[in-house]
Amino acid sequence: MTNAAMRRAQLEALVEAQGGCRATPPLLLPADPYFDLAGEEFGRRLLLTADRTGAEHCLRPEFTLPIVRDYIADGTRQPAAFTYLGPIFRQRETGPAEFDQAGIELLAQPDGDVALDQVFTFARAALSIFGLTPRIRLGGVGLFEALLVQADMPAAWRPRIRHRFGHPEAMERLLSRLEAAPDLPRQEQPARDVLVEDVTARMVSSGLSLSEGRTPEEIADRYLEQQALDAAHVPAGTLALLRQYLAISGEVLSALRQVEALADAHKLMLGAPIRTIRRHLDSLGEAHVSFDAAFSPRLDYYTGIVFEMTGRHGEVLASGGQYDRLLERLGATAPIAASGCALWVDRLEAEIAP
Amino acid sequence: MTGITLAVPSKGRLEELTREWFAARGLTISRPGGARSYLGVMDGEPDVTVRFFPASEIARELIRGNIDVGVTGRDLIHETSETGPDSVTFALPMGFGHADVVIAVPEAWIDVTHLHDLADVASDFRSRHKRWLRIATKYITITRQHFARAGIAEYRIVESLGATEAAPASGAADIVVDITSTGSTLAANGLRVLEDGVMLKSEANLIVSRTAPWSDAQRAQVANLLQKLGAAPA
Repeated sequence: MTNAAMRRAQLEALVEAQGGCRATPPLLLPADPYFDLAGEEFGRRLLLTADRTGAEHCLRPEFTLPIVRDYIADGTRQPAAFTYLGPIFRQRETGPAEFDQAGIELLAQPDGDVALDQVFTFARAALSIFGLTPRIRLGGVGLFEALLVQADMPAAWRPRIRHRFGHPEAMERLLSRLEAAPDLPRQEQPARDVLVEDVTARMVSSGLSLSEGRTPEEIADRYLEQQALDAAHVPAGTLALLRQYLAISGEVLSALRQVEALADAHKLMLGAPIRTIRRHLDSLGEAHVSFDAAFSPRLDYYTGIVFEMTGRHGEVLASGGQYDRLLERLGATAPIAASGCALWVDRLEAEIAP
Repeated sequence: MTGITLAVPSKGRLEELTREWFAARGLTISRPGGARSYLGVMDGEPDVTVRFFPASEIARELIRGNIDVGVTGRDLIHETSETGPDSVTFALPMGFGHADVVIAVPEAWIDVTHLHDLADVASDFRSRHKRWLRIATKYITITRQHFARAGIAEYRIVESLGATEAAPASGAADIVVDITSTGSTLAANGLRVLEDGVMLKSEANLIVSRTAPWSDAQRAQVANLLQKLGAAPA
């Protein structure tokens, strides 16, 4: 047996040993759910094909979505664990479009922290098959949400700021815009019904449906809200706090101490989410762990803690975390806890190539 | 293979303007086989084979390296492939075929004047309307890249191969990404370009492929051609 074959067999064994169900979703999947969940940005990496009716399909680009959809369709809501190892297909800048991914999905587990520890342990075990001690980058989605809820600002700004978390350029643009907001005297606003009437007339004259898309009421309300927001400034101190917080990045213990200092200075209660991150450090062992306050996947169904394990040249070898909002996004009728990770098998092999 | 291939638009106003442009610089393109022929010659330049192609095929073949030099719009290079701009050198803007790829919303959307407004609307569109914000366009690649940079992910593209500006009124989409030179077609359809809604300024360009398998002789021939046309070396 070659070394590579040996490693592959060990990875297979690890995937089988998680006490869960080995998932083998079809290679050909409907494309729409991916566009629905992850939008055009992920969509452009799909390998698409169409059938005779014109319905779009894609070659399996990852495992989580089909696994979770099947679980929801099953309707049990019982705790479940799934693992997988097999080929996925994505358009990439370099490298073949077909490559292997392995991973784990823990659904509806009674204790989210225990589940995340199992995910960490699984990822580290997989990396150790390849003799790798990773660099681990942690992100705190729950921590940021806790900070945002307590930070002093008009409530309407919170979802707008949350929405840009994990997208540094968009966040930077929003913060700069808020910092530069001119101190204009509040202008007299037109009455809502006058606005609704005006918008309705405009929609009718350009032939737009008043009910299929945005309605006149929705447009008028957002217009008024926008005018109000322009007058409702986010305090300069809050903007400074957000900037200082998002800039925190480095060795995990010292980074968390910086977060604590910031919380003290601004009288924020962040003890619980910080303690949660600390508790998980035990299951990360010898690895070099950093915390990056601004780090989050772009997708808004992530919650709690997210992570990346990277190799010598910074390539992501494993990524995952907690995504308690995913199942509801996919049609579950009640919140269901979820955590997991995916491993890039071709990158793991490349990492130990001579 | 010796000599170089120059691809020029095969029909319409773009063909005329291209031939006028070359003629004004002392290089006359003729089409010995008449308007139906896809092969032409450049008088006094035996090394140059002229081929007549649709503009979008010129973009594709330049990116693939199947032709050496071509005339097409910058927008088509950006749209044909994400790697398009890196696969070619824009040697010389030609001063015609001006058009902008823009984001336009219904004029009735009085609350949406900038991209950041669109980001807000897109982010809760799905929860309000049980579907994603729909954008009609034929510029799929450019739209995806631009929206990704703007941090807008919550939308779906509806591919539109003609009369994009009618998509909001027909109910096929909520907003459009379209090409416009004056904005009048958009305005006539009740659409307004966002204040920061110009995604790409395009015009006809003389473009050199970087992926074509160049020999030294061909390099010299292209350099010679570009020099005659007043372009910097590619």
